[in-house]
Amino acid sequence: MTAPMRLPSQPGEVIDRTVPLMFGWNGRAASGYAGDTITSALAASGERVFSRSFKYHRPRGILTAAFDDPGCTVQVGDEPNVRAAHRRLAAGMDVRAENAWPSLKYDVKAANQLVGRFLGAGFYYKTFISPQRLWPAYESVLRRFSAGGSMSVDARRGDYDKRYVHVDVLVAGGGPAGMAAALAAADAGASVLLVEQEYDLGGHLRYGGAAELATLRELRDRVAAADAIEVLTDSVAIGRYEDNWIAVMQRTAAGVAERLVKARARSLVVAPGLIERPYVFAGNDLPGVMLSTGVRRLINLYAVKPGLRAAAFIANEAGDAAVEDLRRAGVQIAHVADARRGTGLVHATGRGGLRSVRFSDRTVEADLLVTAVGWTAPTALASMAGDRPEFDPGAARFFPTVAELPGGIYCTGGLAGDGSLDELVGHATAVGRAAATRSRVGVAPLPHDPHPALFHGPTDGFVDLCEDVTSKDLATAVAEGYDGAELAKRYTTSTMGPTQGKLEVVNTIAMIAELTGRGIAETGTTTWRPPYAPVTLGALAGRTFEPVRYSPMQPWHSAHGAKPLVAGAWIRPDHYGDPAAEVRAVRSGVGIIDVTPIGKLDLQGPDVAKLLNLLYVNKWSKLGIGRVRYGAMCADDGVVFDDGVTGRLAEDHYLMSTTSSGAAAVWEWVENWLQTEHPEWAVHVTPVTTSYASINVAGPKSRELIARVTDVDLSPDDFGYMHVRTGRVAGVEDSVLWRIGFTGELSYELHVPGAFGLHVWETLLREGADLGVRAFGVEAQRILRLEKGHLIVGQDTDGLTRGFSAGLDWAIKLDKDDFVGKPELVWQGERSDHPRLVGLATVDPQLVPPEASQIVAGGEIVGRVTSSRMSPTLRRSVCLAQLADRLARPGTTVNVRLPDGRTIQARVTDGLAAVDPDGKRMRV
Amino acid sequence: MSEPDKKPLARSPIAPALPVRVVDGWEVSAARSAAPLTLTDVTPLAKVSVKASARGPAETTIGVRFGRARRIDAGDLVVGSGPGEWLVIGGIGSAPAMTEHWRATTAGAGELVTVLDLTHGRAMLRLTGAHAADALSTICAIDLRDSVTPDGTAFRSSMAALVTDVVRDDVGGVRSYLLHCERSSGQYLFDAVLQAGAAFGVEVCGLTT
Amino acid sequence: MMLLPCPWCGPRNVTEFAYRGENIARPDPNTADKATWRDYLYYRSNRAGWEREGWFHRAGCRQFFSIERNRTTNETRGVGTPDGAGDAAHSGDSR
Repeated sequence: MTAPMRLPSQPGEVIDRTVPLMFGWNGRAASGYAGDTITSALAASGERVFSRSFKYHRPRGILTAAFDDPGCTVQVGDEPNVRAAHRRLAAGMDVRAENAWPSLKYDVKAANQLVGRFLGAGFYYKTFISPQRLWPAYESVLRRFSAGGSMSVDARRGDYDKRYVHVDVLVAGGGPAGMAAALAAADAGASVLLVEQEYDLGGHLRYGGAAELATLRELRDRVAAADAIEVLTDSVAIGRYEDNWIAVMQRTAAGVAERLVKARARSLVVAPGLIERPYVFAGNDLPGVMLSTGVRRLINLYAVKPGLRAAAFIANEAGDAAVEDLRRAGVQIAHVADARRGTGLVHATGRGGLRSVRFSDRTVEADLLVTAVGWTAPTALASMAGDRPEFDPGAARFFPTVAELPGGIYCTGGLAGDGSLDELVGHATAVGRAAATRSRVGVAPLPHDPHPALFHGPTDGFVDLCEDVTSKDLATAVAEGYDGAELAKRYTTSTMGPTQGKLEVVNTIAMIAELTGRGIAETGTTTWRPPYAPVTLGALAGRTFEPVRYSPMQPWHSAHGAKPLVAGAWIRPDHYGDPAAEVRAVRSGVGIIDVTPIGKLDLQGPDVAKLLNLLYVNKWSKLGIGRVRYGAMCADDGVVFDDGVTGRLAEDHYLMSTTSSGAAAVWEWVENWLQTEHPEWAVHVTPVTTSYASINVAGPKSRELIARVTDVDLSPDDFGYMHVRTGRVAGVEDSVLWRIGFTGELSYELHVPGAFGLHVWETLLREGADLGVRAFGVEAQRILRLEKGHLIVGQDTDGLTRGFSAGLDWAIKLDKDDFVGKPELVWQGERSDHPRLVGLATVDPQLVPPEASQIVAGGEIVGRVTSSRMSPTLRRSVCLAQLADRLARPGTTVNVRLPDGRTIQARVTDGLAAVDPDGKRMRV
Repeated sequence: MSEPDKKPLARSPIAPALPVRVVDGWEVSAARSAAPLTLTDVTPLAKVSVKASARGPAETTIGVRFGRARRIDAGDLVVGSGPGEWLVIGGIGSAPAMTEHWRATTAGAGELVTVLDLTHGRAMLRLTGAHAADALSTICAIDLRDSVTPDGTAFRSSMAALVTDVVRDDVGGVRSYLLHCERSSGQYLFDAVLQAGAAFGVEVCGLTT
Repeated sequence: MMLLPCPWCGPRNVTEFAYRGENIARPDPNTADKATWRDYLYYRSNRAGWEREGWFHRAGCRQFFSIERNRTTNETRGVGTPDGAGDAAHSGDSR
């Protein structure tokens, strides 16, 4: 590939001519140099068209030659929507045009422009309304026609990293003002993060003349020498949030795909410079129509000749400089129309590229039209901090109202005003110094230079080049009543494309103002919201951090085929292959289950009994040392909150257990009542959930097994049901043994110091081998407790279940002076018309109604099945249900509606327990 | 009862890097690294919790306020881990003696003081190296600069979305952090810190005693 | 992300805290009538402006404290612990 448009060496060029790079462009071989962007390399070889537009599929070329260039979005490999005028060329890149089919040159969808009047303002709102059944069809057709590249689900770009940074001053924008502010802040002792969206510091100095380049070198050298300044290039501050929390997108970072930097800055200096504003006229989107800054970037940074024969429409010094650059680059100048002298631009014409330009006084042939009609102030970060920018008609641009900004926000550079380079650097220096101390001392405002107000010519053209919104569309929107800036924006989608208003917002507002007969200041501006620049979703998502928890016995579980159950953060064994066999082992012999996730709180102090009396619905004053009691907790609305057993280990020392899922909430609950309601109580709470590995040993042979590994006296007379002992288990000191019975069998819950958990577990299995001991999982435990009719809070209750609806009548002691939830339970007990927790036996014993099946009567829902399983012990289904009071009498037959629509019958049982209703087995 | 012949082996929740050895009844990694950034599982260290009131008489006796950590004569590290809450970190197997010591020390404080051995309830890591703070700043939002959190600082915050106690405890002038969390998340935290340190060349090093 | 000045730990990201809502006194459970009790359970002023609120430093010192927050601007002032033992040194305005 030849490079007919490549210029000889330029003083400020960023390309390295010693490093040629080969890459692919739409399947053909192409080349450029290191330092080229994809666009500059292609432009050097004479390419003028880089994409087809969003709606009308019009050919588009270079406008700004920078990140925001709306016509330069391409696909690179499997990465879509790459900003080709920013992305640096790399060897072997497979670059393809997006949004063009079958090719960039012959795009069949360009027929859209013939039907353009149907795709105008509010097109989507007006067209695809009815019939609703066609919505999926509309969607599939629209998706094929809408913009964007293609993505591979297998794409791997490496980690999207995150980093937290704390600095005194964050400077957003690394042009001359940003560098000067950073240097001044660092001189004043501040730590500084300097963020620049280009690959190099310098802003517009980079494509300036000899004087600008000299200043650039000096400032860069000083920044490089300042230890207190960290520079992030190819990075952009995408949002400012409360207390100067600033999101910085680092697009290139060593070792990772991208990095989201979350910076907390005492002060934020906003110094983004100014963005050149396009002009609206017929043909303004033709390839070959460029902004003066785009032309200067191509010539001075990339040594690319932007065209062969140029016309210019200019209203400021930037335009003069671009014309001078073009002359120097050997481009033939067909005509320079100076808007400052009243010349107008009427329209441009051409097919696939610019051919001729009509000015108010003549028509000229040209393949390049340079416009320089004014600036847009990217006030985004200041606006996100609460600023309401004001329009200065004399200067024809918005300015942040700096005086109104909250503490710690500063604006400098072109955003803040005008002046010579020295004056701007002086202002930035004062701002940097003030930012370091978070004051406003010594900052004099910059003047606003006059500038002609030029937004559009006498013909209709594109206002938003990303979204293909024309001045005609804006007129339609206003005529149809969408006459405010925010309304017209949403109706036409102007400013809603990837440039997010940076090129088009002022023109949009100016036109709405003109169409409604109001001023620009009165029309106001649309709101700048994060992100300031497009970001990848991967960067926002970053690495996922989801803590997981494992018990000390996890190595054994995973080696023995445990099926994992995700229970909150815990990964637990659901079963080891055959939960029914696990149930039978417990009922007939002995089984062990890892119950480490059960919440455990160590409670010490003279006032623990008072605390227990307050938090549990039952009484605790008379619990003896060595005894264990079941307790249920309600919240102050009377709804059941948690349950568990608490044992008294010593005079002022208790061990409380909670449900596994409620452990964190109960700890917080206890602390809340102690800290906010009863700070006078002397109680210390320490979570010890994982200080202990917890193993429930259950089954008629559990006593025999435990006796083999402990010296604690297990005789029923000495260590009865609902007692607690401490002692040595499997050689491990300081173990706690509770005799409790969630499964309904004789069982001992062992709490052994966590690091010995695996040792004790393996010892139990080894010592109990001849007893047929077997590990059981959560599923078997759920079946066992359901057979026994034991409640699970959150399973058999929900967020509306008050105490008396949970079968806790026996536990609730309304004669206590106070406990959490007491008034509501008093009133619930008085009304006595609440749902009840009941046992259900299906009339057909082989039917297991799924949990949450509705219970219906007379066309009404009167309850629901809360737990249901096939009982391996009874060989019939067992259920618990929440049921309306009037149907809750034992023996009543109710109708249960299954999810498949069938209705089956079930009878309310006498009591909740299906197995061992008298509770003899656990008391042996 | 037939006392099982096998002596109990204490294990950290973090799978040890091979080879392993046993130190005072604890299984520890014998791996060694001279990398500039190292991560060590120090879970076997004794960890004893002391609780009293915030700014009460016991605090005067203990002499370490919330947010600070101080090494005492015995070599143990006393960490002011919360208001009215301390964690004392000592050598492997020393928890019973430490518990006795702190009970005796605070007995005359005139307020409720609770001393509890939490050795088994917490996982503890040590990250050491000049780039330790850079690595942690990818998973922790706290300002780790010397001006804010110098050597001897203790705080609790979120690390890789996990509530973690952090103690800045430099070793021989080299930046070092003790990180501890509730035991069951030990492996998770270890893996998260390893990943955070990857860009800085972190290597796993076994506990040296 | 706003900073909340914890009376014990100083300013921290607000995501470290659990919001407890407006500070409301618990009525006497033995004398409160239904209306009073349910006001306590369910009714909140939801004022636009300054309000005293309870917060819990869940991922930090695990202390409950109360603070005044302006709900339209997120400015804070007057931080204190329930028992009044908070550290005045940390309680300055975060802005």
